[in-house]
Amino acid sequence: MQITFDQVSHVYGKGTPFERIALHDISFMIPSGSFVGIIGQTGSGKSTLIQHLNGLLLPSAGKITLGDTVITAKQRLPHEQRRDIGLVFQYPEHQLFEETVAKDVAFGPSNFELPEAMVDARVREALEIVGLDYEKVKDRSPFHMSGGQMRRVALAGVLAMQPKVLVLDEPTAGLDPEGRNLILEAIYRIHQEQKLTTLLVTHSMEEAARYADYMLVLAQGKVALQGKPDEVFMQAERLRELAMDVPETVAFVSRLNQMLPDKEGLPNSVYREEELIAHLLERLSVPKEG
Amino acid sequence: MLQNIAIGQYVPGHSFLHRADPRSKLLFIILFATLVFLANNALTYAVLIAFTLYAGLLSRLSLGYILKSLKPVWILIVFTIVLHIFMTKGGTVYFQWGWFTVEERGVQQAIFISFRLGLLVIISSLLTLTTSPIDLTEGLERLLGPFARIGVPVHDIALMMSIAIRFIPTLMEETDKIIKAQTARGANFTSGSLIKRAQNLIPIAIPLFVSAFRRAEDLALAMEARGYRGGVGRTRLHKLAFSWRDAGMAVAGVLLAITIGWWRA
Ligand SMILES: Nc1ncnc2c1ncn2[C@@H]1O[C@H](COP(=O)(O)OP(=O)(O)O)[C@@H](O)[C@H]1O
Ligand SMILES: [Mg+2]
Repeated sequence: MQITFDQVSHVYGKGTPFERIALHDISFMIPSGSFVGIIGQTGSGKSTLIQHLNGLLLPSAGKITLGDTVITAKQRLPHEQRRDIGLVFQYPEHQLFEETVAKDVAFGPSNFELPEAMVDARVREALEIVGLDYEKVKDRSPFHMSGGQMRRVALAGVLAMQPKVLVLDEPTAGLDPEGRNLILEAIYRIHQEQKLTTLLVTHSMEEAARYADYMLVLAQGKVALQGKPDEVFMQAERLRELAMDVPETVAFVSRLNQMLPDKEGLPNSVYREEELIAHLLERLSVPKEG
Repeated sequence: MLQNIAIGQYVPGHSFLHRADPRSKLLFIILFATLVFLANNALTYAVLIAFTLYAGLLSRLSLGYILKSLKPVWILIVFTIVLHIFMTKGGTVYFQWGWFTVEERGVQQAIFISFRLGLLVIISSLLTLTTSPIDLTEGLERLLGPFARIGVPVHDIALMMSIAIRFIPTLMEETDKIIKAQTARGANFTSGSLIKRAQNLIPIAIPLFVSAFRRAEDLALAMEARGYRGGVGRTRLHKLAFSWRDAGMAVAGVLLAITIGWWRA
């Protein structure tokens, strides 16, 4: 689903002493099927931005287009369309409430009045996607699971609605490296298999570099930079101004290039780990004689 | 969604009212409330209204925002006005229709009582708007201090109050987040039968309780880890101290009391 923001602003607490402009004149266009990394410091407006995507917040000014649907200050998103946009909040495990994992995951699809057999099938499928064994976990209480497992149950709860757009607010916050990888790989897999449009909010450049094919960098409620990851990472100066680092791969390439003669440097556009490794191996392998 | 409940909430600032001692503000409100009940003619009400407006200026908050604090009670005020206009009899008859009359004393009481309510609400909102919850409970604790001698657990009550007040915004924020998250999963809180709507509260209530208990546990642990043993022997980081502002308030209070006492009918 193509997503367009056209000069969107959002003001919290309008007309009170607590008034705060959280988004200011945001414009961008995301083609259907992209994997977008949204990066920015805490308080830069990331969470505010994504809550506009399924109508939880309405823009104070400007226009949002989701596929064929338009959202403006006066035009809400119809209830049935919420299902197309799967929004996974920060710390989603705090929203679990059912006695069993299966019931909790079924909450979303049941709210859209699907037949029971279909709901069951979706619950099973969603739990498998996030790497949990349906038979083993379905009757367990979500409150007795580990933090990482709870988070994956919560993610399954959104996937079970089979959204066309998946939006995740810092899905890896507070997880150990293993839990982080499990979640991210599950997200990437489902993104590719079901051709979703995915928006991943993160403050880790590494995560964005690994998966995103488009990046939005937010600072103080404005879009500071946007473009393909290599274009964004080229602006190392600007990123540093925004108190953000380039990913380690990019830092590594630029340091390596400083040591190499000009012509033999690696291309600056390399930022994915696998790509970098491939380049290095190619350089290091001894050409076969003969 | 819940942002409108910011009314009555502390607005940080450096005005005269912000910097006055919470104890004098509390005592002043008690005096003011007494005077509001003593006022009984146009002159005394005019004095009180003028004084309240002046106090509003001293807070350096916008008048519109202060007046918003009347929002939760306006129904009560309208109800009082209607009740008095129709039920209180005496004086000239302004209007008659069968047995139904509107009489002078009714109109007068309607005006006085609604102003009485309004003044009380506004002056107490000025207190909560300009006093941080911490200062407020500390002021209360100190004022009630003498009761500790007769076995009232003043410190514990004050601590419970300040913790409760401290966590209201946090829990509101949390509720807001949970409502949003469940809405994103298709929950619909605004339609359906009464029973259905009550059932719809479960997905909000359970996560909220879970998180409240988690927070309470964390807080208790953190307090214990930092050596909290109740109020005995506890010293304070910020000591309350009276200043010229409090002297000013005392003078204003005495003058106001004399004026009202002199001019009331
Ligand atoms: N419910 C709210 N009410 C008032 N202000 C808010 C609310 N939520 C966020 N803000 C403010 O909006 C700004 C952007 O916040 P947020 O979107 O949460 O940023 P991020 O997710 O990038 O950390 C912050 O300054 C924050 O204080
Ligand atoms: Mg956020």
